[in-house]
Parts: sequence; structure tokens; C-alpha cells
Amino acid sequence: MSAAERKHEFVDVLRRQQIEEGLAADRRLDGRKANETRELSIEVGPVVKANGSALVRLGNTAVMVGVKILQGTPFPDTPDQGVLTVNADVLPISSPYEEPGPPDEDTIELARVVDRGIRESHMVDMKELAVEPGKKVYAVFVDVAVLDVDGNLFDATSYAAVTALASARFKKVSVKDGEVVQMEEMVKLPVSTIPVSVTAGKVGEFLFLDPTGTEEAVMEARMTTTFDSEDNLCATQKGGEGFFTPEEVLRQMEVARAKAKEIRAKIKEAVKNAGKE
Amino acid sequence: MSKIQRKFVVPGDLVVKGDFEPVANAYRDADAVYALKVGLSEIEGDKVRIIPLAGRYIPRIDDPVVGIVTDVNAFAWTVEINSFFPAFITASDVFGKRFSPERDDLTRMFNMGDVVLARVAAFDRFKDPMLSVAGPRLGAIRGGQLVKVSPVKVPRLIGRRGAMTKMIEDSTGTRITIGQNGYTVITGPPDKMLVASQAIELVETDAHMAGLTETVQAFLTKSMGRNAVIPEPDYDGE
Repeated sequence: MSAAERKHEFVDVLRRQQIEEGLAADRRLDGRKANETRELSIEVGPVVKANGSALVRLGNTAVMVGVKILQGTPFPDTPDQGVLTVNADVLPISSPYEEPGPPDEDTIELARVVDRGIRESHMVDMKELAVEPGKKVYAVFVDVAVLDVDGNLFDATSYAAVTALASARFKKVSVKDGEVVQMEEMVKLPVSTIPVSVTAGKVGEFLFLDPTGTEEAVMEARMTTTFDSEDNLCATQKGGEGFFTPEEVLRQMEVARAKAKEIRAKIKEAVKNAGKE
Repeated sequence: MSKIQRKFVVPGDLVVKGDFEPVANAYRDADAVYALKVGLSEIEGDKVRIIPLAGRYIPRIDDPVVGIVTDVNAFAWTVEINSFFPAFITASDVFGKRFSPERDDLTRMFNMGDVVLARVAAFDRFKDPMLSVAGPRLGAIRGGQLVKVSPVKVPRLIGRRGAMTKMIEDSTGTRITIGQNGYTVITGPPDKMLVASQAIELVETDAHMAGLTETVQAFLTKSMGRNAVIPEPDYDGE
């Protein structure tokens, strides 16, 4: 699908006016302030056959993620590292504006931004995923199914993917006389940090977190920033036709850093509670 | 008024046997009347009508409708009116017979995304509905909030002789413009518009329930505070 095609609702001028006037008064359509995110709920392990899974709801947006851990061959340039792949699918039932077929630009961008957050924060220690360097490594597949679209797929998907990875359990394998032997012991992925992405939209001079579907249809630009557990910035993505001034970028980074802390605590709690059961 | 019997029906359901006249969304076959839509059947005297529970707007000539301009070309505007068909307003309806696509720029009147109050000027099953903005109060709506209501709930939102609309307007101090297609524009101060839109949502969700007027009245009293002037409802025969 080309970028010119409209993939969101058609927003009338009255609604647009209302959004703009509301942002000036720090009151959004759903009653939130600019720096508030929607209600976040995280369900860990809804897919019993996956190694790890999570269902995340961010307002009306719902994303399901499953993690499968298999064995594969490493890439030639990284023979001593495991393989990590994020694949996203926005289902046709998730929105009236989604069609069946191969993933479009936006879906590929979604998978890439989520992948970048996980990869560049070094959430999973890829070196520990090597079974026999150059020959056999663990391959981690993160499969995303977007169930409901109401804006901010980046963050909802990122939270779901990270939760699924952090809660994943798999059977270790070892190589004996060239044969792969699966062991009974269930182990966790070597997770060292929890990356959290925070997305902001921009309308006029106003920046706001966690845009809804309607706000996405109106906003001029968006910025996604991902922070690791030490509050280091590890990935960014900018989208839309509009622009951010350097001051806006710096200000937004601090807002996002603080918000990421809150959300990381929620993800950690969800993973911890799931481990108890 | 004779007693009204209500029954939930789906298309093809037998509503009543005997000498009854189908008035709306029902048909007659031999000596019985059957439903054409999912809804509630009403038998009043010898007349049978089905009140649909859902559905899009079916244009009728002279209906006032609120639409959203979705496209502009050199000769006409395309308007979304929550129907099966896209409606259009011709340029000559606005600029007159002397309209020239070279001289007149249509976007100066209405642009994409504009909300217009119009009247259905012509419609039949072979042509898309044509709207007209010639008339008092018709034309672009430049302020307020658009609320999308299901067209089948519009009669409940209006109430008997406009009682429901008047009650919401008077107690919130807003102005409400209802299109027969369900698109509704509220104008007034932002906080009052919020209460009015919530009241309209309440009408929509509770439209098929008994005691709707009282529910909405209670909501308005609660939302607008003790000092609000809530007019006595004009009972609409529930």
C-alpha cells in the first residue's frame, strides 16, 4: 500500500478543532492530559503452546505476542550469537481500515521499531544463545498479532513483546557427539534489561503521549523513544510529515524517560506475578 | 391510545396473523405479516411496524442531514452521510446557474473534512442522493462537536415533538442540530458539550429500554449539579 492511501478514519474539521483546542487547554478527547497514557493491562501467558506470550491492552488497542524458541543455524557474520526475529501482523479484523494480504509499510515499520528496541537495548544476551558456535544456536521468534487498532501500536506491541520475552521458558539443548540432545530442564532467556518504548504525537506546537486512533489521524508527526532499565536511550523512530525542533526532542526525551520508568515497573510486576503461579 | 404489543423479531419472523397492515419494515404474505429487519415489532390497531435495532441511513427527500465532505472535484462535493451511498452537492447548487469551473473554486465554499447541514434534494434507487444547501440554516457548520448516532435511534433522540432534544438542550445550555442520518452537532461551551454528548450516548445505548426519559433526566440532574434547571419531561407514551 502506498503512503498516500488513507489507513485511518476520516476526521472532520469539528473534531480536528476540538483536538487542537483541547491540547491548548491540556485536555484531550478522552479526558487525558498530554503526558498521560491510557490504561495498560498486561496478561502473561495466554498462549499455552508458546514458550512465552503476552496480551497487552492499551486503551482500546490490543496486541497479542507469542515467543517461540527453536534451534537454527547462526548468520555467517555472527557465528557465536543466537537469532532473534520480530514479525508483525495487523489482522484484518483489528480495524475497518486493514486489509488481508502481505504486510504493508506500516506493519513492517512496526516490526522493525519493536525489534530495534529489543536488539539495541541488548535485552536478550545473544551470545548466551549459542549452542555450538557457527553450527547450532537458539532462534527466538517473536510473533506479533495486532487484534485491535486504536492508535499507538508501537508501544502496545513493544510492551507485549518484551513481556513475552521476559516470561519465556524453554528446554535447553546440548550437543553430544554431533547429536542435539534436548534436556528436560526449563530455563529462562538470558534477559538483562527491560526496554520500554514511549511514543509521542505532535499537533501544532503540542506534544502528547500515547496517541489514540483519532489523534493519529490528525497528528503531524510522531516520535518513539526506547529506554533500557538504566534509563539509557537505545532506540528512536520518527514518523509523519511534520517535524520536531531540537528543544522539543530533548524535552520529549525527558518526559518519555520518566514515563518509561512507570511502565517498566508494570511490566516487571506482571512478569513477576506470572512467575509465582 | 390502544395498547402496543412489542416483540423481538428477525427477518422472516411471523409478526401476526390476520388482517393487519404492514406500515414499516414488514411485509404481507397471504393472511400474515412478517418482519423485514432485526428489531422490535409494534402492533397498534391494525398497523404493524418494525422498529429496527441497527441500520444505516436510507435517504428520503427533504430530510435534513448532517454530512462530512470527503472529496472535492471541479463540479461537486462528495459528502458522507452514513448511508449505503455517498451523497453529493453540485457546484451549481451553491454558485447558481452561472457557475463556471474555471472561475469558481469549490474549496472556497466547503473543503474536505467540513461538516455541512443539508437537505436531501433528490434520491431514487438508481442515483446517489443529491443534497442541497439552499435554505435557511443550511450550509457549513463551523463550530461545535460532531456526535455520530445510529440513524435508527434518531426518533428516540428527538422524542415526542422534540421533547428529548429540548430537555438536553435546556438543561445543558447547548444547541443540538440533528440530521436524520444520525450525525448530530452540539454547540456550546466545551464542558457543557461533553455532558450533552454523554446524554446523547445514553439515549443511543438505552434507546430500546423503557423509561428512557427518566434515565436521561436523572443523568442530566447528576451531571449538571443541583442548581441546574431540568425541565419536566414531556412524556412520550412509554
